[in-house]
Amino acid sequence: MDKQALLKELADAVIACDPERAKKAAEEALKEKLDPVEAINEGLVVGMGVIGDNYAERKMYLPQVLVAAHSMYEGLDVLLPAIPKGDLSDAKTAETAVVQGDVHDIGKNIVKTMLTASGYIVEDLGKDVDPEIICKNANDKGIDVVCISTLMTPTMDNMERAVKLIRASKVADSTIVTIGGPPTSESFAEEIGADHRDENAQQCVKFVNHKMEENKKKGAN
Amino acid sequence: MAMSCRDRVLAALRCEDLDRPPAAICTTCDTIGMMEKCGASWPEAHSDPQKMATLGCAQADYFGLESVRAGFCLTEEAEALGCKVDMGTARSSPMLKSHRFNYNPMKKIYDEPEGNLPDIDTFLNTGRVKTAIEAMKIMHKTHGDRYVVFGGNTGPFTLCGHLLNTENLVYSVWTEPERAQKWVGAIAPYCKAFGQAMLDAGADVIQMSEPSASTDILAPSDFPIQSGQFVKHALGDLKGGHTILHICGDSAPIIPFMYDTGATGISIEEKVDPYKAVEIVNHRGCLVGNVGCSFPLFKGTPADVEAAAKKSMDAGFNIISAGCGVPIGTPDDNIRALVHAVTGHY
Repeated sequence: MDKQALLKELADAVIACDPERAKKAAEEALKEKLDPVEAINEGLVVGMGVIGDNYAERKMYLPQVLVAAHSMYEGLDVLLPAIPKGDLSDAKTAETAVVQGDVHDIGKNIVKTMLTASGYIVEDLGKDVDPEIICKNANDKGIDVVCISTLMTPTMDNMERAVKLIRASKVADSTIVTIGGPPTSESFAEEIGADHRDENAQQCVKFVNHKMEENKKKGAN
Repeated sequence: MAMSCRDRVLAALRCEDLDRPPAAICTTCDTIGMMEKCGASWPEAHSDPQKMATLGCAQADYFGLESVRAGFCLTEEAEALGCKVDMGTARSSPMLKSHRFNYNPMKKIYDEPEGNLPDIDTFLNTGRVKTAIEAMKIMHKTHGDRYVVFGGNTGPFTLCGHLLNTENLVYSVWTEPERAQKWVGAIAPYCKAFGQAMLDAGADVIQMSEPSASTDILAPSDFPIQSGQFVKHALGDLKGGHTILHICGDSAPIIPFMYDTGATGISIEEKVDPYKAVEIVNHRGCLVGNVGCSFPLFKGTPADVEAAAKKSMDAGFNIISAGCGVPIGTPDDNIRALVHAVTGHY
């Protein structure tokens, strides 16, 4: 299989929601000496992008997205270890968490998947996470993007606390913070100091990519 | 003679013409203000029948809402079926800490329902399921002559997700839909038994919440087969009372399917425009909602709440209610504003 066919197979395996096929395609890509970064970005990520767009437009629903994400991770498990460590030193980093008091994490997991698909090294802090830990991890590791979510209204207070802790910390100006989940709103994001309220995972990734570019330009000036 | 709150809500459930709809919150409404006034608070009110009844009745006793309702979360049944639950605090609701069964479609590791579930009578006499049934008896005795008593429970797809892991259950809807249906089908009789026991104990209406079957999760076309057919068994087939099915999110595409379950009425969020909702419903049954919980009830002003409630009234909702569970920190004045907008009284 030539390079283009292999890249297409990687993308198609994700779109077809076929984890086995994605794993095989990734193994084939390495066997054919494809650059693993290219295989990820122009194969798996392209496929996950199609899924994400369809999900945002409600042409696909969560069951498909979950299986497509599993397919992407099956491919990533093969390709990521093949990337020389130095090639990842400049990678964008993100942190995801569901705030303390809430255990509903499906939305957060989709955001994690779409950030991964967009080239971020994502550290998932999980669910029911203390605001102090969300802030400390971002500071300790100099995380570029923090995405936090909640499904439940009572836990909006903890979301506010997490964002305010970050905004009072040394990464206040450098870390992009987004929030998501049904009870949140744009006005709430603004009120607590978040950069953005994510309507869905695709919109989250578009925003943070745009903001990262903007920050990069500001830094260059 | 003025119509009683009870008669007004019952008439609204039957979709009768009324001078105005009732203001009755069918989903959970147990705020800090209510707890402070009635003296029954979380977490004790989740487990003590008398405190549950007192807090459930505070809706009418202290805020003039036209019905009473208990319990206060969606973990009662999951806990009675073996999940570990953190009971939370006076300010935070109970939270699921573990799932009862192994169900991993990615690794193809599955527990089966056969032989792994308790008998129904044991379930009904366990923990907070029993508490809620007992609370219905108390509420019927103290308020049943003046108010409709709502008993809340959890829908079969949602409860099944609590027992198995919702994400894994949803994953299997794509890879092994029959296996998912088999599990939800095995859980539905527990939902039905709980609803029937609450009706038998004195509840007038069972309001079932099925948030995991929302259009944010399941495709509308999957709803009837993955959730609806089991809700029909667990809610639509109940005897001796009315039934309301609540589903969060943009439920517009599944409104007809929600009525297909045989529920007397449906409860929907503000994500559906109220006028569009009434048009889709097209007189199929009672329509409940849809004043936004996050905004305006929690974060808005009394004027915002009045405007939203009047919009739902103008659109033609039969019962004016919160669109979903009312946040615990919702200001007293905002609840009163909902009542005032609908009844003209504070």
